[in-house]
Amino acid sequence: MNQQQGVQMRGKRGKKPIRPGTILGKAVAYLVMGIFAFMTIYPLVWLFFSSFKTTTEFRTNMMGLPIDWTLENYRSAWKIGEFDKLIGNSVLYTLGSTVGITFLSLLTGFAFAKIKSKATGPIYGSFIIGILLTIQSLMVPLFLEVTSIDRGIGDFLRSLGLVGSGEFRLFHNTRFGVLIIYIGSALPVGIYMCTEYIRGIPSAIIEAAQIDGAGYFRIFRSIIVGMSKPIAMTLSILNIPSLWNEFALINILVSETNLKSLPLGIYKFSGGLSSDYGKQFAALVIGMLPMLLFYIAFRKQITAGVSMGALKE
Amino acid sequence: MKKKICSALMFLVILSMGAYAQKTTLTVFDYIDATAPGYAENEAIWQRFIDENPDITIVKEELSNEPFHQKLAAYVAAGTLPDVMYMYPSGRSTMLHEQKLVKDLAPLLGKDYLANFIPSVTDPSGQKGKYLAELPQSISYTTVMFTNTKLLSDLGLRVPSTYAELKAMLPKLKAKGIRPVLMANKDDWVMQSCLFSTIVGRMLGDEWIDNALAGKVKFTDKEFIKALDFVETMYKDGVIGRDTIQISYGEAPALFAEGKAAFFIDGDWRQNAFLTDPSSGKALIDPKRQQTDFEYFNFPAIPGEKNPGVASAVLGCGYGISASIPAGSDKEKAAVRLLKYLYSADVQRQYLELGRYITSRKDVKSDKLEPFTVKMAAYHDAVKKTCYVLDGALDTSIYTPLNLGLQQIGLGTKTPTQVAQSVQAAVDAWRASH
Repeated sequence: MNQQQGVQMRGKRGKKPIRPGTILGKAVAYLVMGIFAFMTIYPLVWLFFSSFKTTTEFRTNMMGLPIDWTLENYRSAWKIGEFDKLIGNSVLYTLGSTVGITFLSLLTGFAFAKIKSKATGPIYGSFIIGILLTIQSLMVPLFLEVTSIDRGIGDFLRSLGLVGSGEFRLFHNTRFGVLIIYIGSALPVGIYMCTEYIRGIPSAIIEAAQIDGAGYFRIFRSIIVGMSKPIAMTLSILNIPSLWNEFALINILVSETNLKSLPLGIYKFSGGLSSDYGKQFAALVIGMLPMLLFYIAFRKQITAGVSMGALKE
Repeated sequence: MKKKICSALMFLVILSMGAYAQKTTLTVFDYIDATAPGYAENEAIWQRFIDENPDITIVKEELSNEPFHQKLAAYVAAGTLPDVMYMYPSGRSTMLHEQKLVKDLAPLLGKDYLANFIPSVTDPSGQKGKYLAELPQSISYTTVMFTNTKLLSDLGLRVPSTYAELKAMLPKLKAKGIRPVLMANKDDWVMQSCLFSTIVGRMLGDEWIDNALAGKVKFTDKEFIKALDFVETMYKDGVIGRDTIQISYGEAPALFAEGKAAFFIDGDWRQNAFLTDPSSGKALIDPKRQQTDFEYFNFPAIPGEKNPGVASAVLGCGYGISASIPAGSDKEKAAVRLLKYLYSADVQRQYLELGRYITSRKDVKSDKLEPFTVKMAAYHDAVKKTCYVLDGALDTSIYTPLNLGLQQIGLGTKTPTQVAQSVQAAVDAWRASH
């Protein structure tokens, strides 16, 4: 749409008489959206204010503003939750896995969509079947797998005299193991989305590049990556919050505090029979804040990414 | 000069021996959450053991609720159990007991050491595997009637000794807008664990439950339906309001502390909700009022009870030692040293002062306890006979429909007979799979 057309349309719109039905429709739309916005924002505001109450005050003043404001909850939650150790891990796991998932999904998606082979169908199908598997069903088998692989490699290296008698760790209780499992568990959806998106890129572009002498990796780097930015953005947006909040897998994969992520630290404040609400709320605010800042900083890109990713040419 | 050289050499030898002394590493899997009373103090207790035992390295992992059980299941499946772990006397730790994955603590701790504990916690028959797989830190009494005696005396009422007396209080209490009995029934386990277990214990007894699990009697028999009927009666009479189904576990203590109910039924652990919070110095009920205005009582006598005065109780959790540790090894000795420290009179006194539980150790005394804790210990002594807590005696697949059914009775959406049928169906399915 050029500038002139835009001006004409605005002019036409300006002359249009406002119909009562339009006003009513807008009012209903604003009301519904307002209610949804309130339902989303109010709990966050309530959580924020409640995090400044002592547990004793919270029990007697659940809905009101704090009477005796205290920062003690934050001090205690930070110390008890050992968030100074966990926050770096969360950043590493989230960003490292997102980069890995996006890169590998695009690479594999390109191969499945544009490189024809008899093996494409079965291999693609074997990846896609992963979408049907739930994390809960994988927890114990994954734990068994990582511990037995570590044990196997450790025994082999010990037999060669390459490692000592201590426990050998490659996948269990290591950051590398967490990253590999996170990337692997998100690949089925990523590959599916990227394959379908890249299928929509005209093959003529790739063929032209091949005629000009470009190899597959050059085509991927120069053409596919550039044209797949919307799906890469969508994939990142989908993965970043879920990786940041991931609990079930990391709970199984690591046991040492210096390898844990924020959700495990926050979970320490979930009591079964007793609840220290003040510290629990402070811990939740600490965990939520980075995601909130991420959304505020990248809200335009997030909105654009979601809408662009939803459309395929 | 020679002496100095000899001393220096000896010092170096001792130093080098220390440097090369083999440190024993113990992996510990502990069940605790940071909202537990005295969490920070508990960390200090563990740190003291680490400081006092430089030859032992503790690698501790803490989890709670479902993730704890999920991870323990993974450890069992992989055959990589931690050296020392927190466990239940039955229930969710059944596989540890039945597969004998943990050691018998009786020979490891010794008769003299175990003599410091109340006999029922060291009795192996109380545990699933019929051996001392874990040493219970306490006995949990799951039915305690927290009573606002000042409120009652202000209204000219006395603590009821029978259900009929409790019911007779209703007009006076309701006229003042006061709830008779408060329970946090939004959580479905509360009614089953904190009241219905006692009702079943009084009307039927533990033997009846054993027979039901053995298939000799059925939950659809009229005896069990009568117990469910009593729950329905309490709702219909208004002794327990139907709106308690909307009261969450977190909000109930504040309602009771504010004098909005004459009685509050919960487990003994709930006393810690009212104690002074060490971080803020505030208490839901200050120690002075704890002393003068409140008491604990057993639930009054109920119509048709065969076992008067019985209250539900369950052996508490404790620590066990992995069976994979070689007998007589340094690791086994280190694990035993850790357990003896954790169950020492000094550590148990600290846990008692923090309001975590009423310790099973007999020789623990403290003058720093708040009145609610002192009174809870007295309540334990006052209850002479105990019965099963149903969620400790029944499989999860059986008590889940029971918990739900008790809520449905409260809501009036199911009859006692219908609930009994759903429980029996669960028992049939459980028996078929065993």
